[in-house]
Amino acid sequence: MEINIFQALLLAIMASLTSVIGALGTTYSWYTLSRPLVASLVVGLILGDVKTSIMVGAAIQVVYIALVTPGGTVSADLRAVSYIGIPLAVAAVKGAGLNPASAQGAGLAVSIGALVGTVGTVMFYSTATMNLIWQQIGWKAIDKLNYRIIYLTNFIFPLISHLVIAFIPTFFITYYGTDIVANLKEWLPMDGIPMKTMFTLGSLLPAVGIGILLKQVVQNPVDLIIFFFGFTLAAALKINLVGAAFVGAMIAFLNYKIIMVGAGKKSASHEEDL
Amino acid sequence: MSVKLNKKTKDQAFWWWYNGNLTGFTHQHMQTFGFMCAMIPVIKELYKDDTHRLRSLKTYTPFFNTEPQIGSMVVGISVGLEEARANGHEEIDDEMINGIRAGLMGPLAGIGDSLIPGTYIPILLSIALGLSTDGSPLGAIFYAVVYIGTMTFFMKYIFDKGYELGGRAVDVVIGEQATAFRESMVMVGTIVIGSLAASWIGVSTALKFDLGTYYNAAGEQVANVLRLQDTLNGIFPNLLSLLTVLFTWYLMTKKKMSPITVMLILVVVALVGVLIGFFDPGLSY
Repeated sequence: MEINIFQALLLAIMASLTSVIGALGTTYSWYTLSRPLVASLVVGLILGDVKTSIMVGAAIQVVYIALVTPGGTVSADLRAVSYIGIPLAVAAVKGAGLNPASAQGAGLAVSIGALVGTVGTVMFYSTATMNLIWQQIGWKAIDKLNYRIIYLTNFIFPLISHLVIAFIPTFFITYYGTDIVANLKEWLPMDGIPMKTMFTLGSLLPAVGIGILLKQVVQNPVDLIIFFFGFTLAAALKINLVGAAFVGAMIAFLNYKIIMVGAGKKSASHEEDL
Repeated sequence: MSVKLNKKTKDQAFWWWYNGNLTGFTHQHMQTFGFMCAMIPVIKELYKDDTHRLRSLKTYTPFFNTEPQIGSMVVGISVGLEEARANGHEEIDDEMINGIRAGLMGPLAGIGDSLIPGTYIPILLSIALGLSTDGSPLGAIFYAVVYIGTMTFFMKYIFDKGYELGGRAVDVVIGEQATAFRESMVMVGTIVIGSLAASWIGVSTALKFDLGTYYNAAGEQVANVLRLQDTLNGIFPNLLSLLTVLFTWYLMTKKKMSPITVMLILVVVALVGVLIGFFDPGLSY
């Protein structure tokens, strides 16, 4: 599979727009277009193979399912995972002749996505640093009440940062990189240690995504029971995800009622004291 | 004489924030410029002289950063307070506005991060992944439409609420009922994530023990092989995936490691596992 100049340009434009600090704003870009599942549809349309791309994107999505970016610390800027990682993973999966829906196809895709994700982290911190130049211009405009410059500082100047730090690298990596990953099987045999490790890693990495979320919500190890309950619903009782959401909603509803009843009692007894 | 902001101006403030809350991000001033851009139309309408305009614009120059979607509430509150200040409420000064801004950005970041990327997005994505298992674009479209639709509505709603309530919004955000609601929502998210982990993670071992041979009922000699994966599934289905998740959680929570460090540790785990024969994807071209 080859990526032509036009396709590489489109991918580079998407990578410029969809950072957490991307030009399209948080809701459209970071929380929608940079999600690997959504991006895989865009990439699929650009590459002309929606089906393979979505299967690859879905596998990669699991790793980044609960990506939270507290206080501007970004562990993975998804634009690289989505608009460099997915095209490369599609090329690699096809080059190796794997079924993208199989565990092996998913494993290879996830490994490539994670590898490229580190590039995204560098891109994020570089863009934020380069934006300091524009903010210097912006600060001077405030005293002069030059509204136009303030808007340019927030919306237009940062595009230069994206051009230098995201657009150009994405263009070259996707344009030249697909050839390299598509010929993976010529220099890396499937039964060799590197490939076995890569596929194994692909099956382990989605656990990190879940771990990140658990870190957010589980303060007390006892709270892990809630997670185990959800795991059991699917693993042992074979309930699908929508079903699990409804079971979860019911339990949360009861939880809410119990807390509110408890709160009501507290305030009632407080009144008796008076 | 009391000034009332045009609906159009309030909408402008909302949309500048919606589209630009993080676009000019640096680690020095994360959302400060985004916030100023939202306040400019309001300031221009409320004050006609440059002295007041400059004073009010400068009110919004201190550092600002929160979860930007739920943070649209703070923009709404500031618009409300700025309008009250223009109407001569002298108790509303820079110190009061920035006290509220600074006081809310921490709690709202915590609430927003745990509810939006920590709960709502994983639930939506879990459902979307289910719709896209066979490579169908349906899941991606479902997520994009539902997320953008609900989030835009939500942001506009809390912006308007913030504007109406002004400084009183603080009680609504950190009240008892809001806390109980938030805890319950996080609970649904955790349950769904548990199901998602069981459905989408498939860590398995290739380890097997050759226990010699035995004769079956028909008198034939049969190899007696114990597959560790079958034994583990007998204990609890998909046990190794569950243990892997707990391992990453342990490293990040108890050992305070970053996700990148944990990923590197998994590289080592994978390599060692392959070398000792615990992991083997068993593939060929």
